[in-house]
Amino acid sequence: MIGYYISLALRSLRRTPTLSALMVAAIAVGVGASMTVLTLNYMMSQNALEHKDDVLFAVQLDSWDVNEAANTTNEIPWQLTYRDAQALLRSDIPTHQVAMHRYGFTVELEESAIRPYTADIRVTTRDFFNLFDIPFIYGGTWEKTADSSPMQVVILSKATNEKLFSGEDSVGETVILNSQPFTVIGVIDTWEPSPKVYDVNNGSFTKVESLFVPFGLHRKLEIYSWGNTNGWDSGEGEGYEGFLQSESVWIQYWVELTNKEQKTEYENFLTAYIQGQKDQGRFERPLKFALSKPSEWLVLNEVLSDDNRVLGWVSLAFLLVCVINAVALLLAKFLRKAPEAGVRRALGASRNAIFTQHLIESSTIGILGGIAGILLAFMGISGIRYLAMGQQDTVARMDWVMVIAAIGLALIASLLAGLYPAWRISRTNPSIYLKTQ
Amino acid sequence: MLELKPMLSALWRNKVPALLIALQLALTLAIISNTVVIVKDRIAKIERPTGIAVEEIIAINVMAIPNNYDMIGAVSSDLELLRKLPFVKDATITNQVPLSRSGSAGTFYTQPNQEVGGEVSNRYNTDPNFINTLGLKLVAGRNFTNAEMQYFDPSEIRDINVAVITQQFADKIYPDQDPIGKPLYDGNTSHPIEIIGVIERHLGAWVDWSKAGNVAFFPIVRNTQDVNYLVRAEPGKRDDVLKTLVDKLSERDPQRVIKTRVLSEYVARSYAGDNLMVKVLSIVAATLSFIVALGIVGLTIFWINQRAKQIGVRRALGASRSNISRYFLIENSLIAVTGIALGSAAALIVNQYMVRDYSQPVLTLLPLLICALLVLVVSLAAALAPALRAANISPATATRSV
Amino acid sequence: MLKMHNVRKSFRTDTIETHALRDFSLEVKEGEFVSVTGPSGSGKTTFLNIAGLLETPTGGQYLLDGEDVSNLNDRQRSRLRNEKIGFIFQGFNLIPDLSLFDNIDVPLRYRGFSAKERRKRIEKVLEQVGLSARAKHLPAQLSGGQQQRIAIARALAGEPRFLLADEPTGNLDSLMARQVMELLEFINEWGTTIVMVTHDPELARRAHRNIQIVDGQVCDLRPVTEQPEAATA
Ligand SMILES: Nc1ncnc2c1ncn2[C@@H]1O[C@H](COP(=O)(O)OP(=O)(O)O)[C@@H](O)[C@H]1O
Ligand SMILES: [Mg+2]
Repeated sequence: MIGYYISLALRSLRRTPTLSALMVAAIAVGVGASMTVLTLNYMMSQNALEHKDDVLFAVQLDSWDVNEAANTTNEIPWQLTYRDAQALLRSDIPTHQVAMHRYGFTVELEESAIRPYTADIRVTTRDFFNLFDIPFIYGGTWEKTADSSPMQVVILSKATNEKLFSGEDSVGETVILNSQPFTVIGVIDTWEPSPKVYDVNNGSFTKVESLFVPFGLHRKLEIYSWGNTNGWDSGEGEGYEGFLQSESVWIQYWVELTNKEQKTEYENFLTAYIQGQKDQGRFERPLKFALSKPSEWLVLNEVLSDDNRVLGWVSLAFLLVCVINAVALLLAKFLRKAPEAGVRRALGASRNAIFTQHLIESSTIGILGGIAGILLAFMGISGIRYLAMGQQDTVARMDWVMVIAAIGLALIASLLAGLYPAWRISRTNPSIYLKTQ
Repeated sequence: MLELKPMLSALWRNKVPALLIALQLALTLAIISNTVVIVKDRIAKIERPTGIAVEEIIAINVMAIPNNYDMIGAVSSDLELLRKLPFVKDATITNQVPLSRSGSAGTFYTQPNQEVGGEVSNRYNTDPNFINTLGLKLVAGRNFTNAEMQYFDPSEIRDINVAVITQQFADKIYPDQDPIGKPLYDGNTSHPIEIIGVIERHLGAWVDWSKAGNVAFFPIVRNTQDVNYLVRAEPGKRDDVLKTLVDKLSERDPQRVIKTRVLSEYVARSYAGDNLMVKVLSIVAATLSFIVALGIVGLTIFWINQRAKQIGVRRALGASRSNISRYFLIENSLIAVTGIALGSAAALIVNQYMVRDYSQPVLTLLPLLICALLVLVVSLAAALAPALRAANISPATATRSV
Repeated sequence: MLKMHNVRKSFRTDTIETHALRDFSLEVKEGEFVSVTGPSGSGKTTFLNIAGLLETPTGGQYLLDGEDVSNLNDRQRSRLRNEKIGFIFQGFNLIPDLSLFDNIDVPLRYRGFSAKERRKRIEKVLEQVGLSARAKHLPAQLSGGQQQRIAIARALAGEPRFLLADEPTGNLDSLMARQVMELLEFINEWGTTIVMVTHDPELARRAHRNIQIVDGQVCDLRPVTEQPEAATA
């Protein structure tokens, strides 16, 4: 019977090609627009650290100006000062902990045809790879001493290893960074969290750094941050050491706390630390710190912006209009065919049969609209990539979930659109269409 | 003659389709009026004057490869070379590229050791050529002299003596006073920085910042691993100049990695999000009107077909062509007005949420009225063709059986 | 076959209530050919619609094949309609988008026959009405009489035991009307019970029995031969 209904549906669509095209177009445009925006919002709402959401925490300490709260959503600076980061690193409560920031080096190889280039670097403590579950292809992370004393070792991203060493095992090779020799001790596998949850300071959808060097190098190489450095106190210290001891915040800090007790213990530790600092005249604001899960961190940082939310609502409203449009047109179309439905009823079709037949007709429109809508969504997404000038490349793409969601959305939209007209025609009294005036 | 009552009862019998059209028009009005205010707001933002000759400027980032590179020495040679290049008007050094979303800011005060009541401003470390290179306009006082230039190590703290600031920043920090010769205090320091000049406008680093346009310039070069140059080309010659820059600088000293980007691209990137909103919302509003119009065309045609016989009878009984088309147009206006009434209410309610939750602009009465008018026009235009067609139904239809 | 006892049907609109049938009682025997006459608006079509399970009576009892059908649900009624009842209308009511073959196919589809069975039956009835060659044509390509023959073929394809015809010749000229009538008589001879509404006194007389409906009630039951001319308004 379904086959019969489908053939009737196709026949009916061919009968009124303009009207059918109009309805397919309405559904397609609605689905296309909403899928474009919803895909973007969905990708922006991803949490690459979902699987460790209960154990990872971004650390914020309120070391800011006593006269004025920090300009962030929770009024605590996003980052830590270097001296606070160093102090926290001395705690052995967390299972893993990372102090880090973004930096840049010129990269070259000895006796190589590769032209020197600048690359984004992450300066970090050794736990970075453990804490964020980053798999190694070759080698592994540096030893603990490298976090406090200068060791010129480097871990490469897979892409960098391919660029510099054609993907071979490069552990033990030397890379020249800012004309200093660094020994490769590891190569990580592809790891592209998007949004870049571990550091959203410089755009949430930017690429992961391509080289990683230890946190113990600051003094030797006079490393500043290539991310954000925010200060409120011009400080008194001189030179690079003065910068390290200043109240400027530029270090991101994450901890892994596997259970509740550990978390409580760590919170007590932070409270005690801030108290101690208060005694020394720092942390003049009310005692405040925050431990945010990755999911909370993304919300705090407003990774999904107000504009994205507005676009999301607009596109859903747009889809709603398209659905109402399709309802009106389907109603018109079905009512025009009411005499035929009357004949069918007289010949033995039940109300359910008439209802099913018409619902299948509207689903056919839905499927066609859905397919066209997905194509439109792909176009919409490339349009957004273009308009965003590469700033949303990691999110402006469709995965299978979204393709399936698009088909589902189209089907739901057209079923919704077809429900009332199909019901309406299945309920009409056949006898009034059978008589001749 | 208007036959409003029979028309209303005919509409009442077709209430579902009529309501569906009214609902579409209402939603369309609610969406369009809210998008229009957002789009208008963003366009105004994008079109704000920057004060800078954006189209003529190239930004160059130079990063030294050796670790103990003499950047200060390199800077003067580089600038000398850049300024001598053909079609180059001028070149300057800066710690950050304007309008690039990278920048630094600090709070400045009018009294020494002050802790509250300061004004935040972008800060640029540059040289006397910045006014000419950026195409800024000096409206009071004077520019820096070469003798005032100071060369620092990266985190060396030394007193700065002079500053040039924007008019906007001057108005904020010294309202209703002549700022020239007045002191600025950088944070809670006690060393006065003398304001020696005021430039008309410079939008600073962050276009989204509420204080965008508060900018202060200092005659400083820091000896850092990397520096930025800005080069201004003769009008229309920017792309020619761009081609030679990297080669010329590398030729002078190959020990650096050099990257260039035109300032207009930085600006486009800064406004990419706003631009995206403008484009997407405009497309949505346009397609929405189009789709709704198509729906109205489709439904009006359907209605007229349904009533072809009736129309024929009316014609046979003496109704003129214009009577018939007027009937359908008035019917359509009744539906449209209902939709617009519903839509205006919805638009205002939606806008409250937009303002409260998503910090979007307020919808005022004028744009709402304009959008309502637009929706009415779209609706009438969509009904026009079918209504005219209805008028062409021959009175003979009445005598023909189905 | 059909037995109605005190059947009532009223239509309610916003303002007035119309009583289309009032205490309508009638029995039709298996194999009978009954003609129904009566003035316009007297309730003939309403009677056929109720008999054909297209409408439900407001009150009274209706037995079809001895089964009380007043309380059946829509699915059961549709099934009975599909299996036992064939309809013929004044306006033919062929589906304009479907070829003749597909039109006749419609009731067979709802019956759930296999493709082979359907084809067999369609070809058979097409032959019976003498239009085998036109199977692929659309209704609009046929004359009125041919369209009505296809409508009859469609009604017959399911081999119903009960055929309801509402002014089947009303839109036809007298020659075609006679052809259609002959076809119906032929069908009746093969055992199908027929109830036919008509305005044509000559045709009405050719049935076994004529009943007259006036004002929603069976007015008079008289042998056909005694029917006065005036009754056919
Ligand atoms: N759907 C309906 N709604 C209201 N009144 C109806 C409806 N169908 C029929 N009637 C009324 O019922 C009466 C009988 O109609 P009908 O059975 O069609 O008459 P006939 O077929 O004998 O001309 C008429 O008065 C008619 O107006
Ligand atoms: Mg009748």
